Amino acid sequence: MGAVQWLLKKVTKVFGRNTNSLFYVLLYREILKEVNEITKNEEDSVIILREIGKQAATESCERHTAVFKWMPGSPKKIVEYFELLWVVVFGKELEEGDLTYQEIPKEGSKYNDYIVKIKSCPLCAGYGLDNEDTFNFQKVKSKDSEGFACGLTGMLESVANFILKIKRNDYRINIVEQKCIAKGEESLQFMCKIYDTIEWKNLMSTQIQDKIKSGVNFEEILEDEVVQETKLDIIDKLQEVLSLDKIEDLLDEPLEGIKEKVAEIIEDKLNMETEHFFDYFRNYEDDLIRIIGFLSIHLLNEYGGLIEKILENDTFAKIAGYLFKQLRDFALLFVPIDVINDYHQLLVNFLDGLAPAEMVDNVKQFSGKDDINYLFEGAQMALENLGIDFSELKDNVWEELRKEREDGLIPSDQSMMEKTEENIPKLIKIMQEILMLFSDILTLPIRVLISEGHYGLKTAINSVVSEEEGLFGSIHIKLDNIFDQIQEIRK
Amino acid sequence: MNLTREDLIQSDATMNQMRNMVYYLERFMKINDVSEIREKLRRMGRNIARTYMNYWKPIDFVNLTNVRDVITTIYKKILNSTVSVELDEIEKVVRVKDNDCSLCKYPFNDIEVAGCEIIAAMISEFISLINEEKSLITLQPIDIHESRTFGNKFCLHSFKYAEGGA
Repeated sequence: MGAVQWLLKKVTKVFGRNTNSLFYVLLYREILKEVNEITKNEEDSVIILREIGKQAATESCERHTAVFKWMPGSPKKIVEYFELLWVVVFGKELEEGDLTYQEIPKEGSKYNDYIVKIKSCPLCAGYGLDNEDTFNFQKVKSKDSEGFACGLTGMLESVANFILKIKRNDYRINIVEQKCIAKGEESLQFMCKIYDTIEWKNLMSTQIQDKIKSGVNFEEILEDEVVQETKLDIIDKLQEVLSLDKIEDLLDEPLEGIKEKVAEIIEDKLNMETEHFFDYFRNYEDDLIRIIGFLSIHLLNEYGGLIEKILENDTFAKIAGYLFKQLRDFALLFVPIDVINDYHQLLVNFLDGLAPAEMVDNVKQFSGKDDINYLFEGAQMALENLGIDFSELKDNVWEELRKEREDGLIPSDQSMMEKTEENIPKLIKIMQEILMLFSDILTLPIRVLISEGHYGLKTAINSVVSEEEGLFGSIHIKLDNIFDQIQEIRK
Repeated sequence: MNLTREDLIQSDATMNQMRNMVYYLERFMKINDVSEIREKLRRMGRNIARTYMNYWKPIDFVNLTNVRDVITTIYKKILNSTVSVELDEIEKVVRVKDNDCSLCKYPFNDIEVAGCEIIAAMISEFISLINEEKSLITLQPIDIHESRTFGNKFCLHSFKYAEGGA
């Protein structure tokens, strides 16, 4: 999966409001059942649920237009990004190898058709085993009828076409559920067909009211063709050149080289002066720094998804959460201000010459302390995204170490702190290690500035990653110590 | 191998679009002159609880002592909501305040029944099912009048409670 697709999936999940998947699926089932209570006709219910799904998704897309600006603008690419559509709609990633494509050649047409197969459908999971699964899919007999995923299919189609609409593409995608596990078939299967404007209008000309036999009323919403021009259009162009892989290449070069490369990309691909480009971020400099914190964590995670894997374990996620909170709390108290200001100077040096003087001045107005706060805010968002639930963390690690309640319930009151005296020495040791670890990391900007004229950022990073003498080795040892101590306490 | 409902409990799904479906369902009910929309939504909530209980049960019994914790746990585990629960022993009412209700976010002028009626009914049914054989406490949802759907800053789910299954 490409970096942009990966990043968009993460961003989509960060901004989503999640519930447990079983609640989602049961709510979906109940909506279908209520529709059927009105139509008293299973085939009509499936048609109407699809339309409800389409309307619901369109409304949601219209509220978050900016997010979809990052999506690819061609119908073929959108079909290839089906998994991303799935995450946008359902919020749950598919298992490795769960989704397969098959391209069906279409004579005389610009685009082929696609069959998308999903092995494990979450909606059909266990359908029919519980007493409340009363919608009878055996009554959905017509060969053109969809199945349980009809509402989801409507949502997917709406999201796909909303993207094409805001990208000013004249083509539209029709997504139809061809196979459904609840109907007795082996997998969930979609057929995706791409139509030009005229074909699409013909396809859409049949009113829902004409398709249904039960005579119930349904209010259709017509597609609004007018798309407002927005400032965010530069994102469409940026996405061609800005991916995490390319950021990685840039890091191989010294600071001046990076600046030149960034300027080159902006001028060549966006046809903009670098100053003009950075002008978009003028007066939003704090957000720019937050994004750096956010992306840094995700960039680290790119190497084998190690962070995400570690955080899958609830205990490790909590430990990481507390470490992060402590780092944030203690950084500004204990780290020498000169070190923090070195970081700030590095940022100013980078922007100087690239960004408008006013923006550089604005950044200069920040203190090193502000930079650190913004970076931590961005990093915290990324860590939440990767699995740390900060809202679940107690005020401090002492409360977490308290014996859990035997009934497994979550107290409705604020937690009662019980200090365990025997653990205090171990906790102090952890704090010491954390502080030393943080000091080590903060020597990085000095290394970067020194190496700038000689070997560039790469040299600095190499000096960091040397297992024996570099920063990595030092961090590695300290992290080992921290985990050992936490392990001891948990025993 | 296909997924099971036990598998679904281990993962999360995004409600952004599903939340809207509830309101389009309400609109569909309205244009088809369905009466008692509130009761229909509550029926949905009760059905969700009945199925959900086959896969997850927070505790073996609920009484006045632990009812607040049980409610907090259900909201957290199922809806990812951190709520504040208030027990009014004089009026015999439990009030749950959810600042980030999973079914309500935007105000709608054309909607008279908040989507979170589903949640309130689900919670009350959960408590009834847990106490099925013990009749220690029952909760009856009260009509929701404060909701983000109506433009309020939070959703307030209130329940009249009765001890001893009355």
